[in-house]
Amino acid sequence: MTLSLTVPDILVARAKAGDLEALEGLFRAFETPVYNLARRICRAPEDAEDVVQETFLEVVKSIRHYRGEGHLWGWIRQIAASKALMRLRREKLRATDELIDEAAGSPPASIGARIDLERAFAQLSETSRAVVWLHDVEGFTHEEIAEQMGRTVSFSKSQLARAHARLRRLLVAEPEVGR
Amino acid sequence: MMHCTMDDLVAVRDGEGSVWARRHVEECDICRGEMDALYQRVAQLKAVPALRPPRDRWPMVRDVITAERSQRRRRWARGGLLLAAAFAGLMVLLPLMHGRAYADELAQVKQHSAQLEDSLQQYDLDGRVMSGSEADLTAQLEDQIAALDGRLSQMSERAAQDAQLVDLWRQRVDLMQHLVQVRVTRANYVGL
Repeated sequence: MTLSLTVPDILVARAKAGDLEALEGLFRAFETPVYNLARRICRAPEDAEDVVQETFLEVVKSIRHYRGEGHLWGWIRQIAASKALMRLRREKLRATDELIDEAAGSPPASIGARIDLERAFAQLSETSRAVVWLHDVEGFTHEEIAEQMGRTVSFSKSQLARAHARLRRLLVAEPEVGR
Repeated sequence: MMHCTMDDLVAVRDGEGSVWARRHVEECDICRGEMDALYQRVAQLKAVPALRPPRDRWPMVRDVITAERSQRRRRWARGGLLLAAAFAGLMVLLPLMHGRAYADELAQVKQHSAQLEDSLQQYDLDGRVMSGSEADLTAQLEDQIAALDGRLSQMSERAAQDAQLVDLWRQRVDLMQHLVQVRVTRANYVGL
């Protein structure tokens, strides 16, 4: 997923001043990465769309406080992750996380070789997907993930390892490694 | 032989693995293979094609922004009306407050004028001889005071602006002080 996430400073300045065209410019520049982040965390595409909307409303409200420290995408990404995780919490999907994870735990060996990474990833629980995507793709630290999720750092680490073990099982029809 | 768990592999990848795990990954082909597979999975995840949002959400975002802005403008307008009403109230109250201040000042200046009248009575030297210049100055001052008294008697205190009335009384007090000064000087001169 390679997208240009650089926007001109003048666009940011105009957006800070409340210019509607500039705000739309920011929306157009970041709607796809925000949607992708949300889509990897939320199961339903409609939820991801809602996250896009909520993220940009927050961006509009708070852009005056953005001081230009760090990349704008980093700032928007934090908001998007927060909104996506909030949606997960709000819908109490975590309660069914374990069920989803375990239900999909034993796919037939014959399809293990065929399943592609995206499908395997889609089979992970909401929390596991969120941790893998935020840590390994978006570059969040475990500390940041723990803070966003309201959990501990060790929870984030164990979720990541567990998710990778599960991805491996889904992708490779081989006996699991272990001590 | 004991191999690395996924926790070990992820920790080694993130630079947090134990000494044993790091060394083992270097020495064990199976675990090195697992580590490579981990890197590949992550690289593939990073390379998955971007998903495009199925619907354009900007019109909804824009509508919310526009609605919030017009709501804010209405709040400002209401605030403006309140401010205008407060200002109008102040404009009504201020003259009343000033009116009271003028009335106090007028009472003070009238009292001062009455005290000077008393002083003039004490130094009434009309029956005594004055120099020509003194007589002339005294006459001028008395004429001016008479003229002022005429204007004051013509002014209805209600109709007159308070500030103007106070000003006329102040002028009268100044003239009276001057007149008293002339008479005090004369009294000292004649040894009274």
